[in-house]
Amino acid sequence: MVEMIEVDGVPTLFAPSTGRTAAGLIFRVGQADETLPLHGITHLVEHLALHDSGLSDYHYNGETASVYTHFHLRGSESDVVGYLGKVCDGLADLPMHRLETEKEILRTESRTRGGTSALPLWRYGAQGYGLPSYPEWGLARLRPEDLRWWVENYFTRENAVLWIAGDRVPDGLRLRLRPGVRRPVPKPTSALPQTPAWYTGDDTSVVFSAVVRRSTAASVYSGVLERELFRDLRQEGGYSYAASTSCDPRGDGYATVSAYADALPEKQDAVLGGFVDVLARLRHGTIDPAGVTAVQNKSLENLNHPEIEAARLPGHALNLLTGQRNLTVDELRAELSAVTVAQVHAVAVEAYDTALLQTPCRTTADWAGFAAAPTSSECEADGRRYAHREDGEVALVIGPDAASIVREHSCSTVHYADCAAMMSWPDGARRLIGNDGIVLHLEPAMWAMPYQEIGALDAGVGPARHLPQPARDPASIPRPAAAPPAAAPPADGAGNVGEIIAIVLLGLVAAGLGLLTLLGVVVGIASGGAEALDWAFLGCMAVFTAMFATPVVMLLRRRRRRR
Amino acid sequence: MTIIPAAAAPSFDRAAAFPEVQSVRTWCRQGDWDSLARHFAQLQTPDAVYFTADVVAEVPGVMNLLGQVAEARPSAILPKLLIGARAIDMAWEARTGAQAQHVSREQFAEMHEFLRFGEERLLEVTAREPDNGAAWAMRITNARGLELGQAEARRRYDRLAKHHPHMFFAQTQLLQQLCPKWGGSWEAAFGFARQCTAAAPEGSINAKLITEVHLEYWLASRGAERAAYLHRPEVLQELADAARRSVLHPSFRPVYGWVGAHSGFACLFSLAGEHGRAAAHFRALGGLASTSPWSYLGDAAQEFVKHRDLALKVG
Repeated sequence: MVEMIEVDGVPTLFAPSTGRTAAGLIFRVGQADETLPLHGITHLVEHLALHDSGLSDYHYNGETASVYTHFHLRGSESDVVGYLGKVCDGLADLPMHRLETEKEILRTESRTRGGTSALPLWRYGAQGYGLPSYPEWGLARLRPEDLRWWVENYFTRENAVLWIAGDRVPDGLRLRLRPGVRRPVPKPTSALPQTPAWYTGDDTSVVFSAVVRRSTAASVYSGVLERELFRDLRQEGGYSYAASTSCDPRGDGYATVSAYADALPEKQDAVLGGFVDVLARLRHGTIDPAGVTAVQNKSLENLNHPEIEAARLPGHALNLLTGQRNLTVDELRAELSAVTVAQVHAVAVEAYDTALLQTPCRTTADWAGFAAAPTSSECEADGRRYAHREDGEVALVIGPDAASIVREHSCSTVHYADCAAMMSWPDGARRLIGNDGIVLHLEPAMWAMPYQEIGALDAGVGPARHLPQPARDPASIPRPAAAPPAAAPPADGAGNVGEIIAIVLLGLVAAGLGLLTLLGVVVGIASGGAEALDWAFLGCMAVFTAMFATPVVMLLRRRRRRR
Repeated sequence: MTIIPAAAAPSFDRAAAFPEVQSVRTWCRQGDWDSLARHFAQLQTPDAVYFTADVVAEVPGVMNLLGQVAEARPSAILPKLLIGARAIDMAWEARTGAQAQHVSREQFAEMHEFLRFGEERLLEVTAREPDNGAAWAMRITNARGLELGQAEARRRYDRLAKHHPHMFFAQTQLLQQLCPKWGGSWEAAFGFARQCTAAAPEGSINAKLITEVHLEYWLASRGAERAAYLHRPEVLQELADAARRSVLHPSFRPVYGWVGAHSGFACLFSLAGEHGRAAAHFRALGGLASTSPWSYLGDAAQEFVKHRDLALKVG
């Protein structure tokens, strides 16, 4: 039985449980509340708040998700009192002396944690629910005052829910939090003009997401989808090793159904085809009732756990925090049992209509009726146009409201007003990221433009959205290719052959001219003194000989030096 | 001197072998959907459905009828299947039969547009009826035209074979994909043709795949290899075994595709200089013929007549 109490003004869910006490403090703030220039701030606050918890002999942790931040542990009553008290004290007075160290730790964490899913980025863009796809680019520029402001806005008593599973509420438990307001979850944005949509990923797996109204039938659909994918792709086809799905509430009455299937490189087209067929089958109502029953039974079985009420507390707390309906175990049992094949079919239709599919590299899903997710902007900026120094087919446009890089069949346009953030390097390079996820990367050396235009971009975007980057290795900065090949001596091969041909030809001409001159001199002397005109002619011949001989000598010397 | 009478050109019209083909065409032209649907409903095998859908697909302007019916009966399967068939016909017409390097970018774009249009309908058909053999066979053709890859084409065949292990028209579509010209290998192509032949019941036409794969190899080879290939004893033996197992077997029945099967054997034996063996197939055809494989050699009618006359003179 779940009891609802209050601890220092924080709504608290309590359920009895044996063994060590488990507890968690959840705040209604996460990555989706951030903006790209602030991205990482919630995670940084979580790390700093935990730093002074100072206890290491029990399991405690923090988690920053899309719409919530969760501090949780399992331990003795005094551990719970100590940990949660220190988290709240840490939030009240973040250990700013740790700021730079924790930023470093987070950068390392992101490197070791590996790739994040690109699906949120393609669905929502570079804002709100799309931000979990992006690296925590805000870290470098976050100052102590930014963190304090974030804590005051979000890590408050009214914006938190506590859950405890144990014997009782531990004595002496205090949650010293600032007063504030409950923050609603962010409104979803969209970077997809049409769904179902697809984009090409950079590996061999197939990844899928859909947004459906949250319901028990939706979670059954997710289970049925997993069964079908597993059967078709692994058991029957042998194209995949892993095929899995999940159904996660978004906190606003909707849930995200995600699915994943890996593939051997030579089977990736079959995994994509099989995946699309499974989605289509469920969408068109070819649903095996036995499969639905199996999923229902498995879910019902999970509810038979003796401490199921305690196990469901974190989810319950999140529902409370986001104002979503929470089912008791009995209600959930009843709803699960009542789910029909027709209801699962209805979810499948909804899922198909909102689908976003990441296809394996070098494959598409346009053949299956999926629309290509935009990789190009609809229109180009109006402004001053500059040529690329090497590529005649591409132009840069910088205008008062927007900038574009324009190619024949595509363009990347970022309107300054809709620019999520702009990365800036000391050497002048700029990368504008639009709210729609479109990226405009500008290497100033590659464009025939005055340097002041960089200033125009900087002013257009405004300093609040700048993401200053460390200086780059000069060797890695793109520059137009050096024009004369003489600057770099050609290696053996074509250049060498040309050189030898030049030496031989020039040498032959020089030798011929030299011989003629010598012959003239001999004839002149033999004929007993020629006229002045003849001597002048012979002088000219000698000069010509030298003109052809000099480059031969220079080339020969250069070759000797090179050996 | 013996005078051999100039024999008449063969009939390539499928209606000559199967009179119902004429009715199907007439219903299509008259927009008589009910008769057409009734005819399809009584067809017994996926090969029969595929063959008849192909007849419908060749009727000019039939898309109007199919579109109207599909709109009026959104849950009906048959109009979607036939739209898929018609789209394939239009797509390959747009592509033309030329080799890939002679097909323009616009022609490919048009082809792909037709194929995607059809594929979406066929995707729905196989989703609703996972055992619809004709739809799977057309999706194998689509996988090739849309260049979806070897593994995907094979997967489609495997989905189909689960329900229909010996569907001849599907096998001949996959065999094309397995040839090197479509990204496959000779090993895969010969392996598949032999496997299907061995697995099919005696008297069925599946062994025609053996003639197809040898013809593909012969067409792809050059010079001395080409001149000698069809005369090799093991090749001839395999062709003769295949003929015995299928069209020359006592339990052979003139099912849809039989004209093509006899034509295949007649053609290969003719090319191999085995006119005596070819004669048996020419006689069985009795004035009927399919354009394939004769059109590979040049004008189908001329090639047929030339080789038939030679065969009948000898045999």
